Amino acid sequence: MTIIEVGRAETGELSPRQRWSHYFAILYGLSMIIIGINLRDSVLYATIPYENARAGIRGFYPQNWLLDTQGDYVFRVRDMAQPDFKTTIQVQIIPVSAASTARNLLDSLALTRAQIYAAYRQFPPRELILPDETIASAVDYSFVYIEPAPFLETLPVVVAGQDVIILQRGQAVVVSFQVSAERYDQTYPIFQTFLADLEF
Amino acid sequence: MIRHTPFFRLSWPTLNFKAVLCALFLLIIVGTAAAQQPQPFDLAQIERATVFIMQARQTAGAPVITCVGSGTLVTRNGLILTNAHHTVPNENCPGDLLIVSLSVRPGEAPTPLFQAEIVQADPGLDLALIRISRQNDGRLIDTSALALPFVEIADSDTVQLDNTITVVGYPGIGNEPVTAQRGTVVGFTAEPSGGNRSWIKTELAIPGVMSGGGVYNQEGQLIGIPTTAPAARTTGESNCLILQDTNSDGQANTNDACVPVGGVINALRPSNFASALLRAASLGLNLDFLTAPLSTAAAQANAAPTFERLFFAPAVNEAGMPTATVRSMPSGSTSLYLFFDYSGMTPETVYEVRVAIDGVLNPTFGLSPVRWSGGRSGSWYVGTTEQPLPNGVYDFTLYIDGVVSENARLLVGQAEPAPSFSDIVFGVEDVLGNIAGNGFVLPVAATVSARFIYRNMTDTTNWAAIWFREGAEIPGSRVEEIWSFGTEGTRTIRIQSPSGLLPGTYRLDLYIDSRLAATSNLTLAGAQDGRFARIFNDSHFTTASSPEEAQTAAAISSFTAGTAALYAVFDWELLAPGTLWTVSWYVDDELFFEQTIPWSAAESGQNFLMRLTGREGIPDGTYRFELKLNNLLFGAASARVGIGQLPIDRFAAAEGVLMRGQIMDALTGTGIPGASVFIVSEDFSAADFTSLWLQEQLFASAVTDSAGFFEIDRLLAVEVPYSIVIVADGYLPITADGLEVTLDDHPIDIQLYLTRG
Repeated sequence: MTIIEVGRAETGELSPRQRWSHYFAILYGLSMIIIGINLRDSVLYATIPYENARAGIRGFYPQNWLLDTQGDYVFRVRDMAQPDFKTTIQVQIIPVSAASTARNLLDSLALTRAQIYAAYRQFPPRELILPDETIASAVDYSFVYIEPAPFLETLPVVVAGQDVIILQRGQAVVVSFQVSAERYDQTYPIFQTFLADLEF
Repeated sequence: MIRHTPFFRLSWPTLNFKAVLCALFLLIIVGTAAAQQPQPFDLAQIERATVFIMQARQTAGAPVITCVGSGTLVTRNGLILTNAHHTVPNENCPGDLLIVSLSVRPGEAPTPLFQAEIVQADPGLDLALIRISRQNDGRLIDTSALALPFVEIADSDTVQLDNTITVVGYPGIGNEPVTAQRGTVVGFTAEPSGGNRSWIKTELAIPGVMSGGGVYNQEGQLIGIPTTAPAARTTGESNCLILQDTNSDGQANTNDACVPVGGVINALRPSNFASALLRAASLGLNLDFLTAPLSTAAAQANAAPTFERLFFAPAVNEAGMPTATVRSMPSGSTSLYLFFDYSGMTPETVYEVRVAIDGVLNPTFGLSPVRWSGGRSGSWYVGTTEQPLPNGVYDFTLYIDGVVSENARLLVGQAEPAPSFSDIVFGVEDVLGNIAGNGFVLPVAATVSARFIYRNMTDTTNWAAIWFREGAEIPGSRVEEIWSFGTEGTRTIRIQSPSGLLPGTYRLDLYIDSRLAATSNLTLAGAQDGRFARIFNDSHFTTASSPEEAQTAAAISSFTAGTAALYAVFDWELLAPGTLWTVSWYVDDELFFEQTIPWSAAESGQNFLMRLTGREGIPDGTYRFELKLNNLLFGAASARVGIGQLPIDRFAAAEGVLMRGQIMDALTGTGIPGASVFIVSEDFSAADFTSLWLQEQLFASAVTDSAGFFEIDRLLAVEVPYSIVIVADGYLPITADGLEVTLDDHPIDIQLYLTRG
């Protein structure tokens, strides 16, 4: 005896369960991509707060950068994992007179740096409006960094830098960014984030 | 504390457990293997700290090299101890640019890397401290960021006869690598500038270009500086090499300027002479004499240098005066002093003593050409101590700027029992006939007495006493008599003037049968204060915004931290111009300035001014200045600045363990450039450091070069538990705690492999 079981033929349509499975799979994939991007950004752009009440400075610097507060600056952070020149962000406060302009300070910085840095070249200053609408002066420059240790043999590195100067209340806040010219475009967003978060 | 919390928290220790084990294993294995033998004498480190110095004159074209020499780094931030004659501009070395070269790789000729500037110098002692200030292309250097190898300075008074020494320097004119010569200490040479150990003598024949280098004891500490000064270029004996076409005539020949390189060196300036300079240079202190000198000193400046009145003495007293004069010495004598008068000398004058014994030149008892470290005129001696004198006829010849000046002869081995005078002491005589006072500096008075010892005299001997003032015989002072005071004893004679003796430098010569038997100098200065002289009054410190203001400012004994300038002020009376006086400055009881110079102000006056300044203000500490004549103290004052104690220099120690090595890719075995090596202080762990990455937690750090080599910029202290962290872009980091080293490990050479991650 032959038993023939009659059923409904496959029509190609997905069942609701399958459909929802697909939706969830797509959603899951998108979520993972978003989480991955978030994770990447979290690692790359994670920051640590820094506050100096005496100087009236508050900001966030990239995580795992070396923080130094022992120099003639408020603070300086460096990315010590970089292969040649260590990307640096520095905040310095310089007292100025009421008659001083940002241009005076830029000239002074240029004169000092020209004596310290090899092949120092400065580009024309420009105006920069910070996220909080503060008007600042910015100047881009470049120089050649040569490792100071005489017994180590390292090729010179071309460094690109930017100084942002904000004059207020008889002092100038000088925020400097220096990075190997090869990595300037890649790293500049970090500086922009730093500037956006800086409070003084 | 993290603002944007990452999806996962980076935990270094967890990530690196295997790497930590690997690092520790490598540290132990490689470090131990590299240092199986204890190395108390680290010649490699000394050679790395030895520099070649070129003084150059900047011209329209290429710089013209004017002088060359060696030097030694004595601090990590680029302070170099060397000679003054090839660094401080002078007639022989007229350059205005100092170029510092060093051997980047062992066994190679030096490479010009830096420019330097003079921070402290004593032309007479022929010592200078120069500081690296610029890159060779003229760019300024942040010296605080320099981390150069340097040597530690030892107390040179601990050096003994027959000690083994190592002399390190550059023997060529920039074309040969640094070299070391090993020898022994064969004696000491005495001079008034530094007593019996003004020079350490060695049997080595050290090339002249190594002048300014270093001499080391068996612990590798600097105990001396090989020193010779090339004679003037105009003399026939000068060693001068023509290196460049300085007159641009297309030929390098005798018409061009040459580079003086000096002859053979066998005299080493003890390191203790450099201590004061080094202290002043390290603290950035500078002293100015603000009281204007009289014009008479300038008028004497052009007198030709001369030596005269040579005689020998068996010993000197505490005032540097001969105890007696001799023409022969008994066998077995171990000390001998040649005295002579000098005039017209300057710190740039080069003098030399050559000694021949029975006609054969003996460098052990001579002195190779060196700078003059005395004043313009006065009495001087060159002595030999702590070494037996062979019997024979000694011929001493004195040279000035390479030209014979005077000579004298002495016989050793045939002492005859002759009548003698000795041990002249001056003083003020009381009513009982006792001589009182401090011996060689007496107040200005109408009468001065001198007491001396006589031996083996007979009552028919002719004797004479002659008094001099400023080198000229005092009319009516001469006494010529037949001796009638017995065979042995002491005798007192005196000089007096009804109108009072004038202040100044006096000399008493005693003769037996027309032979100079004893002589001694005396300084008359200051008002009478009992039996003693009161020369300097109201010595005090003050501060002011200008020298004029300082003259009237009130005395201050405690200054605030960061004071810009200290003024030392004192009054003086009855001090004749030309009298040698000594001013000494101390900080926390450590000498940082001392100079003996002729008095150049008026005979009496008020408010003599000295100004002490610092590079960044006066460092905290207790400061004192002392005013002396003939090594006797006549004035002093002290004051505190800030907390009254010098700050501790955490980089001062040169003893420790050097860590260096190479960071490599575990896959390819090639060096990783730009990797950062952090040594974390003992108070923190690697995890502490990597959680916040604070510079203040670091003991030291380094970055690898293009081949992956690194060198920690600070020596590790022994038996201190450090942590190490190594990071490089694209690699898994390495961390390890509990890294301890001992001196036996020095230096640690490590090779570490990082895994790509």
